[in-house]
Amino acid sequence: MINIRAATTDDLLSMQNCNLMNLPENYQMKYYIYHALSWPQLSYVAEDHKGRIVGYVLAKMEEESGDVPHGHITSLSVMRNWRRLGLAEKLMSQAQKAMAEAFQAQYVSLHVRKSNRAALQLYRDTLKFTVNDIEKSYYADGEDAYAMRKQLIGEDTSKPKLINGKDVSR
Amino acid sequence: MPPKQGRELPAKESAVFKSILKLYEHKQYKRGLKQADQILKKFPEHGETQAMKGLFLSHLNRKEEGYEFVKKGLRNDLMSHTCWHVYGLMHRADKNYDEAIKCYLNALKFDRENIQIIRDLSLLQMQMRNFEGYNETRLTLLNLRPGVKMYWVGLAVSYHMLQKYDIALNVLSAFEESLKEEGEVVADYERSEMLMYKNLLIEESGDFQKALTHLDEIRGKVVDKRAWKEAKARHLLSLNKLAQAEVEYRQLLDQNADCHGYLEGLLKARGLAGELQGVELEKAQRLMNELGLKYPRSHVIKRTPLKFNKGDNFRRILDDYLQPMFRKGVPSLFVSVKDLHTDSEKAQTVEDVVMAYKENLKASAQFNAKTAGADAEKEPPTAYLWVLYFLAQHFDFKRNTAKALELIDDALAHTPTLVELLMTKARILKHGGDSESAMRIMNEAREIDLQDRFINSKCTKYMLGNGNVAEAEKTITLFTRSESTDPLADLVDMQCMWFALECASSHVRKGETGRALKRLHQIDQHFIDIYDDQFDFHSYSLRKMTLRAYIDLIRVEDRLRGHPFYYQAATTAVKLYLELYDKPNQAGGAGGADSVSEADRKKAERKARKAALKKGTEQQAVAAAETTGGPAPKVVDKDVDGTKFLDADYLDEAEKFVKNLLLMSGDRAESQILGAQVYTRKHKYLLALRSLKRAYAVLSSPSKNSANDSPQLAADLHSAAMEFWKSFNIAKEQKAAEKAAAKTPDAAGSGKPAARQQHPTQSPPIHPTVLAVLKEEIAALFKVDTPSLFNDAFVKTLSASTPERALAAAQNGAPVSVLDRHCSDLKNVSLETAVRIHAGLLAAPIADRARADKFRDTARAAFPTATYFKKE
Repeated sequence: MINIRAATTDDLLSMQNCNLMNLPENYQMKYYIYHALSWPQLSYVAEDHKGRIVGYVLAKMEEESGDVPHGHITSLSVMRNWRRLGLAEKLMSQAQKAMAEAFQAQYVSLHVRKSNRAALQLYRDTLKFTVNDIEKSYYADGEDAYAMRKQLIGEDTSKPKLINGKDVSR
Repeated sequence: MPPKQGRELPAKESAVFKSILKLYEHKQYKRGLKQADQILKKFPEHGETQAMKGLFLSHLNRKEEGYEFVKKGLRNDLMSHTCWHVYGLMHRADKNYDEAIKCYLNALKFDRENIQIIRDLSLLQMQMRNFEGYNETRLTLLNLRPGVKMYWVGLAVSYHMLQKYDIALNVLSAFEESLKEEGEVVADYERSEMLMYKNLLIEESGDFQKALTHLDEIRGKVVDKRAWKEAKARHLLSLNKLAQAEVEYRQLLDQNADCHGYLEGLLKARGLAGELQGVELEKAQRLMNELGLKYPRSHVIKRTPLKFNKGDNFRRILDDYLQPMFRKGVPSLFVSVKDLHTDSEKAQTVEDVVMAYKENLKASAQFNAKTAGADAEKEPPTAYLWVLYFLAQHFDFKRNTAKALELIDDALAHTPTLVELLMTKARILKHGGDSESAMRIMNEAREIDLQDRFINSKCTKYMLGNGNVAEAEKTITLFTRSESTDPLADLVDMQCMWFALECASSHVRKGETGRALKRLHQIDQHFIDIYDDQFDFHSYSLRKMTLRAYIDLIRVEDRLRGHPFYYQAATTAVKLYLELYDKPNQAGGAGGADSVSEADRKKAERKARKAALKKGTEQQAVAAAETTGGPAPKVVDKDVDGTKFLDADYLDEAEKFVKNLLLMSGDRAESQILGAQVYTRKHKYLLALRSLKRAYAVLSSPSKNSANDSPQLAADLHSAAMEFWKSFNIAKEQKAAEKAAAKTPDAAGSGKPAARQQHPTQSPPIHPTVLAVLKEEIAALFKVDTPSLFNDAFVKTLSASTPERALAAAQNGAPVSVLDRHCSDLKNVSLETAVRIHAGLLAAPIADRARADKFRDTARAAFPTATYFKKE
C-alpha cells in the first residue's frame, strides 16, 4: 500500500535517508528543516504500509525580488523498488498544486544533470517540463545542468530558448 | 550608585570602543582585536575592552586565550552588562546553554531593557525547554516593543508551550486587533499561517466546536486551502458531524486520491472503521468500488479492500488487484501485499493464486485456466517473469530458501540482466546465510546499472554484510563528492546514517570493537547536531509565521532519539560496552585480536589519547577556518581504529546510551533489558529492578509494539533477571564486610590510584531501607526463594517452540539436555536462532563440544546455504 501525503517534520530524517540512498546530491538535516519551516505546504512523501518513506519531493519557493513567484524542486526521488507506480508524478502533482494555491507560483523550475538521461526523460516526457536554459558547471563536480520549467498558472511568457536540450536560437 | 570601576573612558577611547562593537557586528574580528589592543595599551584593566578582546580572539581560533580575557574583563567590571553578555556569547557558541542563560540573566541585572540580550535569552530558554522562563522573557520583550509582530506571536507560543491555551488565544486576538488599528499590511501568507496556528491552538485546547466556528470565520483569509479543509474535516469528525465530514473528505480525496488519511477519514465518516462484517462490509465494498471507478489510478483505493475482505471476495479482489500489476511489471508488488501475511489464510490464498498464475501463464500465456482459449488475448511474456519474481520473494519471506532460489533462477534464465531479479537473488542468499554469494550477485546487479546510486548503496550494504569493509568504502565513494580530500568524510558531513550503522555492524562481527564504537558515536554526534539545528529556527519561524510547522519541529526534536537509527546505534553500543566490561582483557585489539598484552594496551591507549588531543585542536582549526572564510585545513583521521573509545569508562558510556533508550524507547523490551544489565553492573539495583519489571510488563501485554514480538527477548530478559538477582545477593552479603572495611578508608583502592577501575565487583553498601524494598520487590517479582529455583521454574515454561528460552535456561544452570529436543528438528527454528544456539553450546558456561558438533550437523542439513554451518 502506498500513501501520498504532505511531509511533516517527522519525515525529514527518512527523506534524508531516501535521498542518500538514491541520489548524488545530498543535504544536511538543517537544509531539510529550513524547507519544512519556510514552505511547510510544499514537500510530499510516499510511504509504504509500514510507514517507511519510499519517495519524496522536497520543494521550495524562489523568493528573489523582481521575478514572478515561482516554485523550485530541490530534490525528487523514489526508491528503485517502488518505481513504475507513477509515484514521482503523483508527488510532483501535489507539490505543484500547493505551490500555486498557497504561494501563487506561476511556474515551477528544477535542475537536472546533463548526463542523467533517465531523469531528463521523466521530467520532459512524463512530467511535461521543458528545458529553459543550460547552466554551465552548475554542479560541484563541474557538470552542466539543464534548467527546466513548467508553467502552472497563466500563459508561458518566458519563451524557452531551448527545445529538448538544443539551443534553437543559434 | 556604586562606583563605576573605571568603566568611563576618555572621549577618544570611548569612540574607539563604540567602533569595536560595530566591528564585532560586522564580523571584522582582526580589526576589532587591533583596536581593542589600542585601548588596552592605555587602559590595560578596562574590563569591557578586555571582554571584547576575548570575544575577538575566540573568533580568531584562539578560544582558550579568549576565555582568559573574557574572564579577566569580567573580574575587572562585574557590573557591566557587556562583559556578561560577551561571556554568555562565548558559552552559547560552545553550546553550554545553561551557563549562557546564567550570564544573560546577570547581564540583564545591569541593563534591564537591552532588547538584544532579552531576545537572545529567550532563544536559549526555548532551546533548553525552560518554558516558564521563556514565557517571562517573551512578556518582557512585548512590553518593551509592542510594535514588533514577532514578539506577539512569540508570547502566544510561550503560553502554548505552557498549555495555557486561553491566554495564548487572547494574545493572538489582541495582536489581530492591533494590526487592524494600525492598518498594518501583513502578507497574505503570514496572516494565513497565523490564523491557522490560532485554529490549531483552539483544537489542542479540545474545543472542537469553537475550532470549527473559528475555521469558518477565517476561511477567506487562509491561503493554505488544503490544511484548512483537512482541519475542517478533522473537527467535524471529532464533533461526530459525520454527514458533513463525509462531504469534506470526499473533496479532499478529489485533491489527492492517494492519501490514506483522507480515505480513512471518509470510512470513519461513513461509520465504516475497524473490523467490518455483514452489511457494513458490503457498504464499505460498494464505497470502494465507487471510488475505484472515480479514481482508477489511486493505489490506496485499490489496495484497501484487500484488508477488510475475506474468503471468496478476497480471492476475487486479489485477482483484480494483482493481474494488472503483473501485466505492467511493478517491482514492489510483493511488498505491497506482504502485510496480508499476518492472516495465514490470506497468505495461503495469495500463494495459491499466484502459483496458479505461474502454471497458466506457462501453459497458455493466460492468468486463468478457464478463460484460456485460442481467441483470448495473450499476456505479455514479462507477466510470467514478474510472477516468478513475486513467488521467489514470497518463498523467501517464508524462508524456503531452496524454492525461492529455484524460482528466481528460472526468472534469471528468462532475463539474465534485470537488476531487480539479481537484487532479489542476493537477498534470498543473504537470508539463507550465504553473505558472500549474496554480495557477489549484488555486485553483478550494480555492474549492470553503474549510474544508479540505489543499487550502489545496496551493493555497499551487502559488502559490509560480508565483512568487506575496504571494498564497500571503495564502492560507496563512487557516488560521494569527488572534490573532497577524504571521500568518506563527505558521508559523515551529509549525516549518512545507514552507512555508519552498517559499518558498525560489520566491525562488530569482525570483533573490531573500537572501530564499531567510533561509527556509533558518530551517529550519536549526528543526533546531537540535529538537535542543535533547531536553535536558529526559534527566531526564524516567528518571523516567517510558520508556527504550526515550528511547534511540530519542537515536538519532533523532543523525541528525536526515539528514531530507529538512534535506537539501533544505541542498543549496539550498549551491548559492546557491556561486552568490554565483562571481558576487559579483550578490549585492546582494535584489529580484533583476542588478547593484547597489558603493555600493548597501555601503549595503544597513550597513542589514542594523543590522537584524540590532536584531533580536538584540528577540529577547532576547521571551525575557525569556516568562520573566517579561510581554506579548511586537511583533517587526517589519526584514530582510524577508534582506540580512544576503548579507553573510556565502559559502564558510564553504556549508561549514557541506555538513559536515552529508556527515555525515548521505553516501550521496547530490549531497552529495558539493556537498562537492567547496565544498572546491575553499576550496582544501582533499584533502577535495574525497575527496568526488569517494565520489561516483564511490556512482554506480557502482546502486540502493543511489534518490536517486542521476538522470542529472543523473553530469553534475554530471563538472563538479565538471573544476573540481577545473583549480583544483588552478593552485594547483600558483602554488606557486613564492607562496613568493617569502611572504617579504614585507605585500605580500599589505594593500590592503583590512576588506573581506571573497569571491574568493580563490590557494591557500595546498600541503605537498609533500600535493601528492605528490594527484598520485598524481588520476592513479589520472582515468587520463589532463590535464583536457582527461579531458573527451575523457567525450565517448566519451556515448550518445543522456545529454543531461545531453552538456551537461556541452560546458560543459567539448567542441564544442557533441556536443549536437546530443540536440536533434532530445526523446522521452526530461524537461522539466526540456530547460529545463536550453536555459539551458545560452544561457549562458557555450557561449552559442550560434542553437542555443538552434533547440532552443527543437523543445522547443516536444515540450512544448506548457510556458510556458518559449513565450517568445521
